[in-house]
Amino acid sequence: MGHQPFETIVEAHHGEIYRYLVRLTARTSEADDLSQETFLRAYRAYRSLSPDANVRAWLFTIATNLARNHFRSEKRRRRAHAAVRAARVEADSTSPDGETLFNEARNRVDGIVATLPLKQRAAFVLRKVHDLDYDAIARSLGCSAESARSHVFQALRKIRRGLADHAPARLELQP
Amino acid sequence: MSRNRPDCADIEQDLIAAAVGEADPAARRRVEAHVARCAPCGGELRQYRAIDGALDTWRRASPPAAAVRRARKRLETELERLHRRTLAYRIFPSPLGNILIAVSDHGVSLLEYLGRARDLDRSRLAHLDLEAREDGAEIEKLYRELMEYLEGRRRRLEWPLDLRLARSDFHRAVLRITAGIPYGAVTSYAGVASALGRPAATRAVAQALRWNPVPIVVPCHRVIGASGALTGYAGNRVGLKERLLATEGIRIERADRELRVPREAMYVRTTDGGYYCLPSCSWLGRVRHPNRLVLFGSREGAEAAGLRPCGECRPDLHPLTA
Repeated sequence: MGHQPFETIVEAHHGEIYRYLVRLTARTSEADDLSQETFLRAYRAYRSLSPDANVRAWLFTIATNLARNHFRSEKRRRRAHAAVRAARVEADSTSPDGETLFNEARNRVDGIVATLPLKQRAAFVLRKVHDLDYDAIARSLGCSAESARSHVFQALRKIRRGLADHAPARLELQP
Repeated sequence: MSRNRPDCADIEQDLIAAAVGEADPAARRRVEAHVARCAPCGGELRQYRAIDGALDTWRRASPPAAAVRRARKRLETELERLHRRTLAYRIFPSPLGNILIAVSDHGVSLLEYLGRARDLDRSRLAHLDLEAREDGAEIEKLYRELMEYLEGRRRRLEWPLDLRLARSDFHRAVLRITAGIPYGAVTSYAGVASALGRPAATRAVAQALRWNPVPIVVPCHRVIGASGALTGYAGNRVGLKERLLATEGIRIERADRELRVPREAMYVRTTDGGYYCLPSCSWLGRVRHPNRLVLFGSREGAEAAGLRPCGECRPDLHPLTA
């Protein structure tokens, strides 16, 4: 079995990787740069990838590593958090509905997620948004599956507390 | 902390796992038993379950479609640029030392003698503004054909060429003319310049062949000095030129520490290109620049190139003796 053309990899996975990086960085401009770098690196290494490798998990690993390097700069991280707290709207006049929904959701959960340490944030997004199993998350983060699960649960713990502080009545009303 | 029992901390992992549907049956039972007697943990379990509803909106939220499209478009432009700059290469052992073969999507771009080197340090690829990617399968096939050629079992390397590494359009034109010199034949730098319609450009032709990015495939080893001297090849590797010509049945002599092809003892292609003659054929006396002609080392070589014996000098009846 040979490799699919790289164009089909872009077609199949770019949107998802971009959305993942938006959630990690909280800024579309940084997600733009990091998703581009993810696919350029993947392009260079694609032919040496085993043909039966899980390309999707591999791309998430590259994206996660790039995001980790990106956030190593504390200055950048603080700037990203400030951007989330300010709930800055990145204007897009062509899809106001999507934008409204996006920003509304950011105001509630994204604000909490963005303050998580990167490993917890990445593990949580990979699990809860992209449905990766713990083995794949572990490979992306360079840790054990047990640690990956622990990162996700730790994130859930913080989100529960954050939401309970923000809207305790609403949470308690649920069965 | 809402928990009020010492075993609450122990149950927390199971509690979350049960809320998000990841608990095994034993953990579920432990949680059920615990929350039945611990109201605060029961409340937390309900909160964790409620989070799933809150996450649902968050999960479906997506960055603006136009931003995704913009990022995709930018990526495709950058990938196209990278693609155009990327060459796949492999390095192989050969009787002529290690050889690097590099290809683009359009064809073979580089064939390089590396001597004993086994990496890119001594390659032109290391000094060009290009992406070099070590790659396998398609180049392996080229290598096999090259080996057949070097062992004399193949006369043609019909490889698509990508002459992007030639230094100018003039160099590319020189390479195209040179590619047409048949197997088992030689001509001079002046002959190539003449065929190019630039008879005075002998030195420029020599320079273009010196930078030939695909030797052997574009057989610059078949271009020799007007005197028959081999002159240079791939820097100072004239010995390689001797071996390549010998493989094709061209006789080489050593005289005054110089390697030369005995032009006077070779078959000559007629200027109309259809016949081959003995060097003593009468029409040759009327040729102004006999050193620009194409010469064959053997009748077999000439006939394999599609030439017929001249009806006047009859090289088929009076072959040259070695």
